[in-house]
Amino acid sequence: MKKLSIILFALVFAGNLFAVDAAADFSAANKLYAQGKFPDAAKAYETILATGAQSPALLFNDANAEFKSGRLGRAIAGYRRAALLAPRDPDIRANLAFVRNQVQGATGRERFWQNGFSTLTLNEGAVLTAVLFWLMCALLVARQLRPALAPKLKGITRIFAVLTACSASVLVWQTANHFSSATAVVTTDNATVRSGPFDDAQNAFTARDGAELSVLGRRDDWVQVTDGTGKSGWLPAKQVEVLPGA
Amino acid sequence: MIFAAGFIWLAAMAFGGAACAANFTASLDRDTITLGEQATLSLRFDGVQPQNAPALPAVAGVQFQYVGPSSSFSFINGQTSSSITYNYIVAPQHDGEFVIPGMRADVGGQRYSSSPLKLIVSKANAPAAGATNSGSEIAFMKLALPQNKIYAGQTLTAQLQIYLREDVQNIVNFQLPSAPADGFIIGKNAEGGRYRAQVGNRVYTVIPLRFALTATRTGMLTLGPFTANMILVLPSQNQGGDPFFGQFFNQGEQKQVSLATEKTSVESSPLPEQDKPANFSGAIGDFTMTASVGPTNLTVGDPVTVHVQISGRGALDAVTLPDQSALQDFKIFPPTAKTETTDQLGLEGRKTFEEIVTPQNAGVQEWPQFSFSFFNPEDGQYHTLTQPAVPLVVKAAGATPMPALAANKNSAPENQIPQDISPVKDSLGTLATKSFPLVTRPVFLAAQTVPVLAFIAAFIWRKRTDNLANNPRLRRQRAVAALMASGKADLKKYAAANQPDEFFVTLFRLLQERLGERLDCPASAITENVVEEHPVLRGVPKATLAALRELFQLCNQARYAPVRGTSELNSVVTQFEKTVAELQEVKA
Repeated sequence: MKKLSIILFALVFAGNLFAVDAAADFSAANKLYAQGKFPDAAKAYETILATGAQSPALLFNDANAEFKSGRLGRAIAGYRRAALLAPRDPDIRANLAFVRNQVQGATGRERFWQNGFSTLTLNEGAVLTAVLFWLMCALLVARQLRPALAPKLKGITRIFAVLTACSASVLVWQTANHFSSATAVVTTDNATVRSGPFDDAQNAFTARDGAELSVLGRRDDWVQVTDGTGKSGWLPAKQVEVLPGA
Repeated sequence: MIFAAGFIWLAAMAFGGAACAANFTASLDRDTITLGEQATLSLRFDGVQPQNAPALPAVAGVQFQYVGPSSSFSFINGQTSSSITYNYIVAPQHDGEFVIPGMRADVGGQRYSSSPLKLIVSKANAPAAGATNSGSEIAFMKLALPQNKIYAGQTLTAQLQIYLREDVQNIVNFQLPSAPADGFIIGKNAEGGRYRAQVGNRVYTVIPLRFALTATRTGMLTLGPFTANMILVLPSQNQGGDPFFGQFFNQGEQKQVSLATEKTSVESSPLPEQDKPANFSGAIGDFTMTASVGPTNLTVGDPVTVHVQISGRGALDAVTLPDQSALQDFKIFPPTAKTETTDQLGLEGRKTFEEIVTPQNAGVQEWPQFSFSFFNPEDGQYHTLTQPAVPLVVKAAGATPMPALAANKNSAPENQIPQDISPVKDSLGTLATKSFPLVTRPVFLAAQTVPVLAFIAAFIWRKRTDNLANNPRLRRQRAVAALMASGKADLKKYAAANQPDEFFVTLFRLLQERLGERLDCPASAITENVVEEHPVLRGVPKATLAALRELFQLCNQARYAPVRGTSELNSVVTQFEKTVAELQEVKA
């Protein structure tokens, strides 16, 4: 018992130390940003991210620093990652839209229903669906245990059933989108998309820094992409950041 | 008829052995065939009748397919002979020399063996020009190209012409197993209209098969030899008689053939660098372009739709919109493209692009002219199609006053175009480590089964409760069972306390309840007479009835008899328990 207490205390203490360190590093990176040292700030944010920790604010600030350093693709990738954690954050949405406007050529643009479906994170959607499902089942159980209440509970049970079905449908879409589609954000200027996954392959088209391309497949260190107009080809994986979702 | 056939066979079996010696032979209908053709292997048993078709040895590169048996019987000058032949189709998978090893068969305790067979399979080759022109070939095939010099990336229409001599009635099971096209991509194909042609002194039906070919590199490219396998239906040579009836009843005989074309070389040249337009993006063919832009009177940020249609003949898939990255004053969204072809090979048609653009400032005065360049292989020159600039009237975003009713003081921040990104956040927020989403965690998924199980449990409980409520007999059974349990305890208590009055009142009531429940009648109607009279109790053992009767009598006597002792009352309890247990078997 004593050993267990010591281990628990060590774990909690280590966690606090980790958080304190990250907060200090975060403040230091913010200072670099305020001084206009954007590439240094970006590096400082990435050092924190490299520890495995992440928060919407950390990803957002990192994306800001990337944008101010002139790296549109990395900025867009950062904002999209932040939006996965905090999809309703107006600052993230505004900055993502602003940076997309700076990209020359084709850029990503969510449809209105995609925006609606992405209002919740995948975990929030899962919890909401589970809560609605549990409540619906609780009502069904109550109707079985107290048949006299069944007529009164009929309407609300139906409402919860519809809500659960809607929420589950959105969750299925979110899950499918998260796991079965991916987007490659080009992070180098004028990336040459080739017709095959090798350096000598013919040029198919050129993608600008920040272009958001749908991922069709991967092979070794190459990513097969399409720009949505029928043009497709292969890009070296080091020239893109691949993110989940369309 | 069946009887007659059976008799002949029995006769053959009876006399055949004596008439001729048993023998087993294997043979091929021909020992040399062309790849794609099939030979027939026959295993013939003379004078013996195996139970099953013999198993064939495995031969690498050759497939055997069992067709079926055929039998024959002859009776000549008192000598009878019979044989059965098992036939197999032999289909080689590649050219070369194959040996079908000798086979053994055990029939009637005797072992028979056959000799090995050799089959030579050669590749299909184009017939010699002399043979073709003389009209001696039943069928042959040619590859026709419109030209032998092309440009890399150019698409041309090749034609595979299948010549069938006039006496060929039909062609079935056409296959094109080999179409080597080094340096080409073979596109869609389509069968053209058949026509007749005179070759030598014979008339042939020509079946043209057109297909698209696109050169993918420069240099000498080779096409062919293309090979095709098919079965030709020819007039049967064995059927004589009236030609008039022959045309209706002559089913023809099938002949499998393999055809091949000559190998053809094509010179593929690179596109000329001279006069190559800067915006050339690889389109090869002959095209025209139309474009429209609208609306032309708009506000900054409003969408403008640009329609561009490129029509003509060539590789439409390779046609792309000109690069518009230099258009700094417009935000350009990804265009959509739709290709509509008007021919079967997909070489003619139109490709329509639709693009949404938004002007970024009020200084925009026109949608600039843009041009589309292509290379026409017919004249060997580059051509550039130009769409003139389209004037635009672009107003500033705030220039159009909002109607007074619609104006909203708080709506401004969302509609204003921001000048810079939002600043960094001061608070780090809650740190989290990267983890898998909840929907992939087994614990989360397993937890969702809890409400389902709870509902199932509640549903079963409800059903059982309803079942009990709707079954008064079952309800009474349970009530009486509960009463018996508590009543026995009461009896023991009264016996221990030596309270005979309460004891026998309780005993009488318990007997009434138990018997009433068993006989499905009111408890108050149960008396000692019921034991004697009720038809249901007639099947009960006499000992049980006697015990019941005695218990009732004890209850009646207790009203008049002196008080009994505890031990005697306890023995009554034992008798009651035993009798009640025996009554459990009684069913109304």
